[in-house]
Amino acid sequence: MIEWIIGGIVLLLVVIIIYYFNKIIGLSNRIKNSWAQIDVQLKKRIDLVPNLVNTVKGYAAHEKAVFTQVTQARAAMVGAKTVEQKAEASNMLTGALKSLFAVAEAYPELKANEQFKLLQEQLEGIENKIAYARQFYNDSVLEYNNVIQMFPGNMIAGLMGRKKPEQYFEIAEAERKVPEVKF
Amino acid sequence: MAGKTSFFTEISRNKRNSILLVFLVFFILAALVYVIALALAPGAILIILPLAGIIIIVHALTSYYAGDKIVLSTVKAYDPDPTRHIFLINTVEGLAIAAGLPTPKIKIMPSKEINAFATGRDPKHATICVTEGALEKLNRQELEGVIAHEMSHVGNYDIRFFMFVAIFVGLIAIISHIFLRSMMFGGGRSRGGKNDGAIFLVIGLILAIVAPIVVRLVQLSISRKREYLADATGAKLTRYPEGLASALEKIGQVNAGKMKISEAESHMFIADPKKSFADNLFATHPPIEKRVARLRAM
Repeated sequence: MIEWIIGGIVLLLVVIIIYYFNKIIGLSNRIKNSWAQIDVQLKKRIDLVPNLVNTVKGYAAHEKAVFTQVTQARAAMVGAKTVEQKAEASNMLTGALKSLFAVAEAYPELKANEQFKLLQEQLEGIENKIAYARQFYNDSVLEYNNVIQMFPGNMIAGLMGRKKPEQYFEIAEAERKVPEVKF
Repeated sequence: MAGKTSFFTEISRNKRNSILLVFLVFFILAALVYVIALALAPGAILIILPLAGIIIIVHALTSYYAGDKIVLSTVKAYDPDPTRHIFLINTVEGLAIAAGLPTPKIKIMPSKEINAFATGRDPKHATICVTEGALEKLNRQELEGVIAHEMSHVGNYDIRFFMFVAIFVGLIAIISHIFLRSMMFGGGRSRGGKNDGAIFLVIGLILAIVAPIVVRLVQLSISRKREYLADATGAKLTRYPEGLASALEKIGQVNAGKMKISEAESHMFIADPKKSFADNLFATHPPIEKRVARLRAM
């Protein structure tokens, strides 16, 4: 009789360990995947910028300062490799694009241009998707950290060598400030 | 912060309540089967149950696999235009990213009422459909809230959930029906002495009459809980519950409740397409004021 009970307990333990092992792996993969999603959207934004700049140049060719700002920010974004570099370059590009749109405000013909409106809409969509991708990344980090820190996941996580919680994607102080608009 | 709740709490509460209700349906089914087995010859239930099961499962699987195409063609849904409807497309894609789901197919249906629905058996085969009325009359944040609600139905596997509940409810209805019919034609055979059989006969009769009604009400209650759940999950996606709250208020004011949608299909709509938002046990959706109140308390 006692062997059955012990056998049952062992079986239960094995099931629990497998469940948490798989869950931890799954959540860790989800974090990697959601990070890659952010990258996908950042790249889409990089690809959109030249089109946007050319459309604005068609109406406001002499606004050289803002074009330089945008081009430099885009180059920085392309060259960024580490997470910190990407975050910083992304903030710079967002700021530069905001200045570009502020400049476009002064040109009613440009604002009415269908191509410009479409690009503006597309850019807004991408910016929203970057925000959503970051949100999903942070949600994934929360779930992962919960599992590896709460009982009984923490014990299995310890056996897997995964005791370190993942970092959240925080917005840098610079991005919290409203960018200045220089006309 | 009295009265304030988080969408995480709302999500757990509604998930738990809907699952408890499913267990209730399951127990009623088990009780029905047990009592009938005792009232009739035990072998009878071995015939009735699989027969009923086959009928129900065939019906459920048909609607599971083909249901989305059927509904979409019924409402004459069409594809969005990549330029005119760019905001709709971006919103659905963005919210799919926020939910970690593949992007559902997008359709528009030509109704002037404000509504939307989700269909498809799992996230890989899902479609979200909005009415022209929704596109015209809702502002951007309201539309985002509505799409987030539908995306939540997809992510919570609600279509699949409803199918399982419908299977149990259907089984109970058919078994009860068969039992009552057999009572009318032959009377029961008892296993032990005459008295034993009679008691189970009576209980079985009562159950067979009452159970289908009770589980139907439970099914509707489950539907309402999952609506609250979709509201809360949607708020978690947008982090802006006011968007959906405002959209629901508009729906309450604007919609006439006259869309030609069958009862079975009305589950997945964001607002009840046929009745005028009755606050009763027979509603598939909770009353709009209660939904708005819960959203604004998040």
